Amino acid sequence: MTDESALPLVIDGLRKSYRTRGSQRLVAVDGIDLQVQRGECLGLLGPNGSGKSTTIQCVSGFYPADDGRVVLFGHDVAREPKQARRWLGVCQQEDSLDTDFSARNQLIRHARYFGISHRDAATKADELLRRLDLAGKAGKLVEHLSGGMRRRLQVARALVSSPRLLILDEPTTGLDPDIRRGLWRILAEERAKGTAVLLSTHYMDEAERLCDRIALMHEGRILDLAPPRELVARHAGTEEIEEEVRPGLLWKRPPNLEDVFLRLTGRQLD
Amino acid sequence: MPPSSRPLALNPRDIFRVWLRYFAVFRKSLLYGVTVTVTQPLLFLLAFGFGLASLIPGVDYRGVELGYREFVFAGIIAQALLLQGYFEGAFGSFVRMYYQRVFQSVAVTPVTLREVLWAELLWDASRASFSALVIAGIGSALGILDPWSWLRLVPVVVVGGLTFSALGVLSAAFARTIEELNYPQYFLVFPMFVFCGIFYPIANLPVWIQPVVQLLPLAGLADLVRSITLGLPFQWGSLTVLLVWFVVLVPAAHRAMTRRLVK
Repeated sequence: MTDESALPLVIDGLRKSYRTRGSQRLVAVDGIDLQVQRGECLGLLGPNGSGKSTTIQCVSGFYPADDGRVVLFGHDVAREPKQARRWLGVCQQEDSLDTDFSARNQLIRHARYFGISHRDAATKADELLRRLDLAGKAGKLVEHLSGGMRRRLQVARALVSSPRLLILDEPTTGLDPDIRRGLWRILAEERAKGTAVLLSTHYMDEAERLCDRIALMHEGRILDLAPPRELVARHAGTEEIEEEVRPGLLWKRPPNLEDVFLRLTGRQLD
Repeated sequence: MPPSSRPLALNPRDIFRVWLRYFAVFRKSLLYGVTVTVTQPLLFLLAFGFGLASLIPGVDYRGVELGYREFVFAGIIAQALLLQGYFEGAFGSFVRMYYQRVFQSVAVTPVTLREVLWAELLWDASRASFSALVIAGIGSALGILDPWSWLRLVPVVVVGGLTFSALGVLSAAFARTIEELNYPQYFLVFPMFVFCGIFYPIANLPVWIQPVVQLLPLAGLADLVRSITLGLPFQWGSLTVLLVWFVVLVPAAHRAMTRRLVK
């Protein structure tokens, strides 16, 4: 039996439904089980509406689960939210930067919510601004930052409390390739320190590149959970796939996670 | 399980950390913040307490003959709590919830959503209380109100500020757009403002409407403020009315905003 207190994340039978218009309920997450090990990057891969973001909201404790439990470092997030979230860093899908503060000040302020002293918070904020190429924008309000800078600042905010579990909900959506690669580098550095990562994405290249294991999600369920190559080999085989990229032009390529998803669900990832 | 680890337990230090975020924003534009907080009640004070008061010799208030200036000065303290508390609670919390997403970003740290919402209410009430106590201090300094009555007023001001802030947050929780906040403003806040005995005694209204008006929170608050600042008999009935609204509105605001944010 695994010692839960040693694991960054244990999800056990998580179920979550919403009220929709009228009296209908939509099951967004339907009884999923997951574990994330120290230093591991686990990807949640699936199209919009597959339950990735709801899972993340439940893991962060913002949404209560209907059933099942989420345990962070041995603490149930519903029963002991303060202890559970002490080592959690969350980069939300939506831009939730505090428009009333400069880049540096909002990092410091966010760290203070974790009980970190002002001096330590300032040191960490300066370090993160340097690492994410935002040092020149430290004193700028969010409204003066570009979309890519804002996204990097949101990642910096998730890291300012030195989390041991980092949750990233679609962190690179809409970003330029060079900024995406920059964020991938930061993630690699954090993982090298032992930080676990729960990454939600619908970019298969990002999932393949960053994740040790991938949970393929569809309609609130995990279809399969395995390392990317194993998923591809298991469901799409190893033979090259021939597809028509333009009328009359055939192209052979190795199978990928898109093919896996298509085989399992009959639909594309995006 | 230690008390602070219970999900329903509130940690005052965490609430204060979030309150400091609001205060830091206020402090950044201190002149603007102070100006908008005290200008409006001061204008009412000048217009009614000094302008109109010179035309009205006295007011019969609950069988006591009061100078109009004394009467309206105390009323303006109560209306400052209504307007400042409601507007900060409604428009301020809507902006923080809908546009800035402050609640959502803080409530994934060790600070819980309940604590964030308490900080919101306490901040809104702080601004309203500041405004009311500035007016009370001016009244005391000018000898219109009992000296030091503003100190005795603090508990009532805090309860009143929280009550109207909760009304604002409750409105924000139900508003789909910021424009929809005009509905409670026009159909509840402004009617209270003009009918709840701020500028004239409720006894001057038609008899049939008086019991309804007496049950509104601003009427109870205005009575309490007058009894404390003018040395009149304490209005236990008014205290009951205010406390009932406080007990209803504060949890309702929490519940409604939580339902708005959390699926």
